[in-house]
Amino acid sequence: MKRYNSDFILILVTVVIMFFISMLCIGGMFYFKWAELQNVVPAIKIAYQEQMNGLLAPFLLALLLTLGLCIPRRLFPQHRLYAFIILLGLTGLGAALVWGWREALLWMLIISAALQTVVLILAVSGRRLKFLCEGYWNRVGSSSVHLGLVLFCLDFFLLDRWNVHLVIFWISAVCIFIGTVITFYAEDMMDKLRDRKESQKFMDRC
Amino acid sequence: MPHLGSAINTYQTTGSLLICLLLVSAAALAVCIPFQAKQPGKRPERAAYFLMSVISALLAAGSILVIWFHWEIYQHVVLRLPENLAREINRWLAAAANRSSYTLPLYDPAAPPRYILPFWLENEKYLFWFLAYAGMALFAWRRLNEPIFRILLQVLLVIQTAVLCLVCNPFQQPLPGFLQEIGPWFSPLAPMSRLGVFMQLYPRLTFYYNAHYMWTHPPLLFLAYAGLTVFFAGCVAMLWTGKRACETMAYAHAKVSYIFLTLGMLLGYPWALQAWGPNWWWDPKVASSLMMWIVFSTYLHARLYLSRRWMWGFVGGLGILCFCAMLFTFTASFFFPGEHTGH
Repeated sequence: MKRYNSDFILILVTVVIMFFISMLCIGGMFYFKWAELQNVVPAIKIAYQEQMNGLLAPFLLALLLTLGLCIPRRLFPQHRLYAFIILLGLTGLGAALVWGWREALLWMLIISAALQTVVLILAVSGRRLKFLCEGYWNRVGSSSVHLGLVLFCLDFFLLDRWNVHLVIFWISAVCIFIGTVITFYAEDMMDKLRDRKESQKFMDRC
Repeated sequence: MPHLGSAINTYQTTGSLLICLLLVSAAALAVCIPFQAKQPGKRPERAAYFLMSVISALLAAGSILVIWFHWEIYQHVVLRLPENLAREINRWLAAAANRSSYTLPLYDPAAPPRYILPFWLENEKYLFWFLAYAGMALFAWRRLNEPIFRILLQVLLVIQTAVLCLVCNPFQQPLPGFLQEIGPWFSPLAPMSRLGVFMQLYPRLTFYYNAHYMWTHPPLLFLAYAGLTVFFAGCVAMLWTGKRACETMAYAHAKVSYIFLTLGMLLGYPWALQAWGPNWWWDPKVASSLMMWIVFSTYLHARLYLSRRWMWGFVGGLGILCFCAMLFTFTASFFFPGEHTGH
């Protein structure tokens, strides 16, 4: 095994981005208290929310890019992966420069949601995609969780459209919940069921 | 509150007795710890297990007492309005229903609103949380025979019991916030004043006390907190001993807690929209919860490379950081302003 393979580096990058998002959250908490935003008029609160969203956007973009790296890694061979990521990164950056961070984020979220849906369909259909954790249920669960998270982020752009917004939210919640349960427990349960069946067969033979 | 008086007295008297028994049991469990550390053997361990079971049983008895008290509240606290005021209030509510997407239900004179209080209000939440921890700790204690892990579980249970008995005793002053809130309803009021009090109480009853989400969002989070505490003990034991069994135990509780935490946080989202509208995002409690969830997710991602060099310590450290993030998130409600403040 190579000392630093791409999977490991990807995980480290994810950890670093998550660290910065955590710091941003803590910073937001202290700013909220320091600026005494609790009892201000809604307009000031909305301005604070917009400011925090703006600060979060680059990190979320970076996280989506690493997720974007993760997804095609499952679909494409290594040599096409870098071209794909450069293309995705450039379109994201272009959208940010032309329309702003918000639109760039929306663009990346739509692309990620589409890709993740494809991955989930392929994982469910049993195609041999390249995943860090092996096993059918692990692949399905992981894809479902990541699709749910992308949809959850996408849902924030639909806050004004009340009905669609809640539908997307519940789809994302179901994807995240079922995906997490499957990732954590399905493989073990299947192993146990398999063991039980095999021991039953053995007993029958005896 | 004429009918509730005797229920409050019974609740306080029985609760005080339970708290005394809990304190004695926790003190006895604390005494066991140095014996276990000095001479790990069967007798002190058996005594410790027995005391942990006693504490769990006492916490369960306390929860039953809470359920009984809430049943009394359900029976005796009714927001009943005279017929003319009921007609008036329904006219207001119907007019409001045309202007907003989330509205209050109309007043039904045949079934006036009653409080269906969940069992994790105010200081009662500590009872639920620590009972969940006690149950999980007992289960983990039986599954892993590792002295340092068992001692840590006991220390954490002693600390939690002491906090419950000495700092946030739910039986000393039952539901002070709630009883203060509904107090004016039981005082003699002019019709229009009664209507005013009703309009203060009814939205809180609908969107907070009787909300469906109140039965899912908070308890799932407290279950997650309880699991995270066992997970913390597992992480410390894993770093202390370097044994794989401790790590496996920590991970088993991390998985359960992560599911509870994720589901609990997700279910808080539509509730917040319903109760507070859209202006709650980036509220300090939301930000800290998000931070905790991210730290937890980081742990789960990092754990995939547990066998690599330095990752054992890093993963164990992240586990401890998750617990610290949980403590920070929980206490944030008391120090940071926001919609969740003091809940």
